[in-house]
Amino acid sequence: MSRFTQRLLARRRTVLGLVLVSVLCVAAALAPWLVPYDPTAQLDLAGGQYLDPSVAHPFGTDFYSRDLFSRVLYGSRISLTVAFLSVLLSVTIGTAVGLIAGLAGGAVDTVLMRLVDAALAIPRVFLLIVVLALWEGVGLWGLILILGLTSWIDASRIVRGEVLSLKTRDFVTAARATGIGARRLAWSHLLPNLAAPIIVTATLGIGQIILTEAALSYLGIGVKPPMPSWGSIIAEGQQTLGSAPWVATFPGIAIVVTVVGFGLLGDGLRDALDPRTR
Amino acid sequence: MNPLLKVRDLRTTFTIGDSVARAVDGASFDLFPGETLGLVGESGCGKTVMALSILRLIEDPGEIVAGSVIEYEGANLLELSPRELRRIRGGEIAMIFQEPTTSLNPVLTVGAQIAETLRAHEEISREEARHRSVGLLDLVGIPDPDERASQYPHQLSGGMQQRVMIAMALSCEPKILIADEPTTALDVTIQAQILELLAALQRQLGMAMIFITHDLGVVAGIADRIAVMYGGQIIEEATTKSLFRRAAHPYTEALLQAAPRIDAKADRLSVIPGAVPPATAWPAGCRFHPRCPHAWEHCSGAVPDLLPLPPEHRARCWLVVEPHRRRA
Repeated sequence: MSRFTQRLLARRRTVLGLVLVSVLCVAAALAPWLVPYDPTAQLDLAGGQYLDPSVAHPFGTDFYSRDLFSRVLYGSRISLTVAFLSVLLSVTIGTAVGLIAGLAGGAVDTVLMRLVDAALAIPRVFLLIVVLALWEGVGLWGLILILGLTSWIDASRIVRGEVLSLKTRDFVTAARATGIGARRLAWSHLLPNLAAPIIVTATLGIGQIILTEAALSYLGIGVKPPMPSWGSIIAEGQQTLGSAPWVATFPGIAIVVTVVGFGLLGDGLRDALDPRTR
Repeated sequence: MNPLLKVRDLRTTFTIGDSVARAVDGASFDLFPGETLGLVGESGCGKTVMALSILRLIEDPGEIVAGSVIEYEGANLLELSPRELRRIRGGEIAMIFQEPTTSLNPVLTVGAQIAETLRAHEEISREEARHRSVGLLDLVGIPDPDERASQYPHQLSGGMQQRVMIAMALSCEPKILIADEPTTALDVTIQAQILELLAALQRQLGMAMIFITHDLGVVAGIADRIAVMYGGQIIEEATTKSLFRRAAHPYTEALLQAAPRIDAKADRLSVIPGAVPPATAWPAGCRFHPRCPHAWEHCSGAVPDLLPLPPEHRARCWLVVEPHRRRA
C-alpha cells in the first residue's frame, strides 16, 4: 500500500466519506438494475397515492403514486452527473485562468483577478435564476454548462495562489534556466504539482454543485419534471410535509449524505496530499 | 583570443518600497572559451545574482539596470527576444544550482526532466528523448541509468541528484556552464567526486565554466582564473596561481588568511572583522574600507578602477598605486 493510501485511510472520517461516495456512485451507476419500479411510472393513481414506507415501497410513494425509492435512486444519477460534469468544466476553466494569471503576472494577472473579484460580487444563485428563467427549456446540458461556467472562481484563485508559490521554488528557476518555454513549463512542471489542490477543490466542489442544483430544482428552474431530481422531489413533498413527510425527507437525507460524503473525502484528500502536513 | 562571454558594467537592483538593494553594482569580466573562471566571495556579495542575471533569470522586484552589457558571441543577451533567449538558456549557456534537492521537480521522474530539456531545444520524439536521457545519466556516472531514469528525485541521494542536474545542464552541449556552488550542499567525499566529474566533462565537451563558490580550497583546484567579488563588484581578478601567490586586495588577503591550511600550524583561524554591509547601503568610496586594516582617508572618497598589476592581475585598490601605505 502506498504512503498516500495509508495516510488517506488513517482517518476514520475519511474512510466514512470514501464509503459514502463509493456506495452513491455504485448505486447511481447500477440504478436501472437496482430500482424496483420505473421512477416515472404512475403505479396506481386510484389507491397508491402517498403510501407509507413499506417493504414494497421502502421510501413510500408520492402524489402520482410513483415509487419514491426508485425516484431518489434515479435522482442520484442526475445529481451526480450534473455535479461531475459541471465540476470538470469549472475546474478546467479555473485551472486555465489561474495558471495564466499566476504565470503571466503583471497586467494580465491584475485584469483577470479584478474580473474574478467582479464576478464574486454577483450573487451566484441570483445570476443562475435570471439566466435559467430567461433561457426557457435549457435542459440537462444547459444546466451543466451554466453551473460549470459560474463556479470556476474558487478553483482559479486556488490555482493562481499555488502557481505564485511554485514560481518561487528553485526547480522552476532551474527549469527556466534550461530554456523551457512558458507553455511547457506550465504543462509539464506546474500542472503535475497542482494535481493535489485541484483534486481537493474538485471533490469539495461536487458537494457545492449538488447543493446548488438541488436548490435550483427545488425552485423549479433546474431539472425539469418528470425527470427525478432530489431538489424537485423535495419541492413536491413540501406541501405534504405534515401528512406525508417521507416524500421530502428521503431526498433530503440523500442530499445531506452526498454532500457530507464528498466533504469528508475532500478534507481527507487535502490532508493526505498536502506536503506541508507530511 | 576573443572572449566567449563579455560582461560589462552589470548592475542588478532589487527595489522594495523606497529601498534599493544594489546586489550587483558594476561588475565586468570576460570568459574565454574552454576556461574555468572561479567567482569567489562571501555570502551576500552578489555571486548568485550575477549568475542569474547572465541568464536573465532575475524576477520582479529585481531588475537588470539599462546600460549593462552581457555579450555572448557578439550579441547582447539583454536585448534578445524571449524566443532567442530560450535558445541561449540551456542550449548555449546552462546552469546548475546549489541545492539539487530543491532544484529538481519533486513530481517528475528524473528521466522526464532531462527529456523536457532536450525537447525544449530539439524536435525529437518522446522515445528518442527518453533514450538520450538514459545516455546522459550514464555520462554523468549514474549506475543503472535505465532504472534510475524512471525514479523520482527523492529516491536519489544528494550526490546523485546533483549528477542529474549536471546531466540536464549538459544535455544540449552548452558552450558555457555556470555552476553556482554546486558542491556546497554535499558532503566532502561526494563534493570531490562532483568536482572531478565537472572537470572531466568540461575537458570532454570543451566548454567554459563559471564556477561560483565561497570555498577557496575548491576553487584553487578547478579554476584557471579567479575573480573575487565584494559588495556587488569584482575587486580582484587574476590567474589562480597569481592570486594565491600575491593577492593584492586586502579583502582577498583576508579571505586567504581566513581559510584553514593544512601546511601551516595555527591555533586560531583568523577572521575578517565586521560583516558585509547590506546591499541597500554600500559605504562610499571603496566598499571594503570600513573593514580594511590599511584604509586611509582617500579610501572613503574615491573608488579605484581595477588597476593593473602585470602580467595577469588586476585589483580595485589604491594600494596598487601607493604600496607604501600598506601597514605592517
